[in-house]
Parts: sequence; C-alpha cells; structure tokens
Amino acid sequence: MTDPESLEGWVPEIGTRVSLEEVIDRAFDYRGNVTVVRADGSELEGYVFNRNRDVRVPFIQVFDRAGDGPYDILYSDIRAIRFTGKDTAAGGSYAAWLRAKQASKQRPGTTPAPGA
Amino acid sequence: MSVPLSQMWAVASYVVTQRLAGRTRYPLVLMLEPLFRCNLACAGCGKIQYPAQILRKHLTVEQCLSAVDECGAPIVSIPGGEPLMYPEIGRLVKELVARKKYVYLCTNALLLTAKLEDGVFEPSKYLSFSIHMDGLRDEHDEAVCRDGVYDEAVAAIREALRRGFRVTTNTTLFDGANPLRVREFFDAMMDLGVEGMMVSPGYSYAKAPDQEHFLRRRRAHELFTQILSGPKRRWKFNQSPLFLQFLMGKRDFECTPWGNPTYNMFGWQRPCYLLQEGYAATFQELMETTQWEHYGRKSGNEKCRDCMVHCGYEPTAVNHTFASWRGFRDTVAATVTGRF
Repeated sequence: MTDPESLEGWVPEIGTRVSLEEVIDRAFDYRGNVTVVRADGSELEGYVFNRNRDVRVPFIQVFDRAGDGPYDILYSDIRAIRFTGKDTAAGGSYAAWLRAKQASKQRPGTTPAPGA
Repeated sequence: MSVPLSQMWAVASYVVTQRLAGRTRYPLVLMLEPLFRCNLACAGCGKIQYPAQILRKHLTVEQCLSAVDECGAPIVSIPGGEPLMYPEIGRLVKELVARKKYVYLCTNALLLTAKLEDGVFEPSKYLSFSIHMDGLRDEHDEAVCRDGVYDEAVAAIREALRRGFRVTTNTTLFDGANPLRVREFFDAMMDLGVEGMMVSPGYSYAKAPDQEHFLRRRRAHELFTQILSGPKRRWKFNQSPLFLQFLMGKRDFECTPWGNPTYNMFGWQRPCYLLQEGYAATFQELMETTQWEHYGRKSGNEKCRDCMVHCGYEPTAVNHTFASWRGFRDTVAATVTGRF
C-alpha cells in the first residue's frame, strides 16, 4: 500500500516547475532512498539525511545504499534527484495492522500476527 | 515525587552552576539514539521509518561517549529505536554509569528479561529502565500494534525490580484516551512497584503512521485535568510537578528546544528531539547556529503550535523551579503535597 501523497517514483524536472532547492528539501524530508545525479553525470543512490542551505556553500549529506558515508554533495553539483527508493513512511504497516485487528474482532479467538 | 534525592541534587547543582555562570541556554537531558532499529512498529512513532541501510547502522560506543562528554548534561536518556537491540548496550551503560550520568534506558521491555538473565546490566542508582507503557493491556497493545506486549513488559518490570533495578514507566497519551482507564493504569503501575511514572501527550510526527489521534492543546489540557485532578497519594511521577501543572493548563510555559538535545548517527539534530530540520556536526555548532527564535509556540511555527511534549517543556519547568523563590516554593509544595 502506498500513501497517495508519497513521492515514491517522482522524477522532478528541476528548473521548470520546481526549483533545485525545493527538490532538495523534498529529498531531505523523504524517508526512502533517492538517486542524486551530479553535474558530471555520475549517480549516487542513498538516503539524504541532512541539507544545509544556510551556509556560504550549501550542501547535502548522504549515506549510500550500503550505508557508507556520509558523502557531502554541493547544491551546485546536483543536476537531478530521482525518488527511486521505497517510501518507508507511507503508512502501510499501520493500515495493515488496523485491518488485521478489525478482522480478528470479527473472528473471536484470533489475534493479528506480530508486526502485521 | 519519586526522583531520588541524589539525582535531584545532581540536577539542581548543575542548573545552579549554569545559571551562576550566566548561561541562558544549556542542556538538561541528552537524548542519545544509538540506533533507529526497533522490534515494534507503533502507530504513533515517527522515529523508525528509514531505508534498510540506515536501520542496520548504529553508533559506536566511542561516538556515544564523545557526544555525552561534548554535551555535558547530567542525565542521558537512551531512546531509539529499541536500545536493547544495540549490540553494545551493556558496555555503553557501564561507561555512562562510570561517568556518574543518570541514565534512563527507554525500552519496550521485550528483550529486557533476556538481557537481565544474561547479566548485561548491574543495578545502580544511576541506571533506570524507563519502560514504554501506553496504558493497560488493551490500550498498550493497541498503541504498539501487537498483542501480548503489555504482559511481556509487566513480566520484565517484575524481573527488573526483583533484581534490584530502578524501574520507571513512560506513557504517551493520544486523543481518545479514557481518563478513568489512565488512572487505573497509574494504580496498576504503582501496584507493580515502579519507582515513578512519566506521562506526556504524543507529538504529531509527520512520519507517524497514525495521523488521526494526536492531541491538540485545548483537548490535552482537558484530558490531563481529568486524569491528574485529585491525584492519589500513592501515585509517584518521575518528572517535574510544574510540567504536570502545565499539561493541566495551570501554567503557561514556552518551549526550551535546546533542553533535551538529540544525538544520533546523523549528528546533532536541529532543533529538538521531535523535529528534524537538519543536523550539526558538533554540539557547539548546534547551540550556536540553530535559529532558536524560529521554534516554540510564540514563534508562530506551525509545527510547534500544539506541541506539549516533555522534551521541550520539562526543561522549562525545571528552569522555572530554579529561576525564582516562587518557582522553587511551588515545586516543593507540589512535591510534598502530591497535588498539582
């Protein structure tokens, strides 16, 4: 189940409808991996855990998919960001729990499985 | 109140020292998150929603201790994630106790009995297990989205108490909580023999799965008034009585976002334990470069409007105690009489 407001799969076109700063803010707020495309065309997939735009040279910080890092990337070195990873805050687990709980109430003697 | 005298003295002398030194911003409790991994997925929690590589990571003990030394707060709270899943939790706690830090290990207790049987911890006046209990059996199991957790936690509490450990509880309340049931829950915890209880309204984490049941401020005042009016003498709370009066709407405090600074694998979290607006590399950078005036209720920040959570307001209550004779007198009066 994916939250209707989730950015999962979003591939924003920076500069047309949305600014680089806005996309970075969204990526920072996103609880999944993203793919950062640098100006030289190289890509880094990982979790953007920090961004600082209040300094002379704004930057983001990323742990890659292996958990290595942090890697610092300057705003000026970012060409694109794609929201490629699963949105872990999309809320599916809670919805599943509620469904299972409701079903168990209708079937006395049964309880939802742990972590349902 | 149930806070031991030695702990009260440690906090009081620390606060007085800070004030005499002319410091207006200082931390009281370090929120140390060694990992985000958890063995539960509670509906109201916004702390554990991360990609797998982040959930696999954790801080080293050395990183934790460095943060503790850097911060200097007399109390260290270890939330998470589930701290008992941290592979080096025993060594971390031992090192903190050796530094005479008062440690609150915040746990859902699912792994506690096994850790106690393995001899991971030793009883100390500096160590308290703060067990997550959101109510009686039905309410708690509903809050943590798994049946049977309440019973496991109660068994672990009994075992920890039997072995001579300090045990407290921490309870988060959401809209829809039944005041009478909460009062029954307080009775049940006191019957178990816990040292004291902590209560707080939940914060509406943007990332929490359940977005429907967070308390707004007026409703929170009503609920806590119903719960805490005419408190039983036997109820012991491990928190400032002025904070409880604030929850009841009897005091109007402003948030102290730097009071409980948070350190985790991302760094020092801006501005507080609840909001994630970025990270500083050092504690000094956090204190000096965070735009504190953008946070708290008076700032008009939408994210702070309804927040009444202990991590922002308990430091205010503690500071209020030491800011004037009146604050001190009010705290002593509530402590001695047990009335809020």
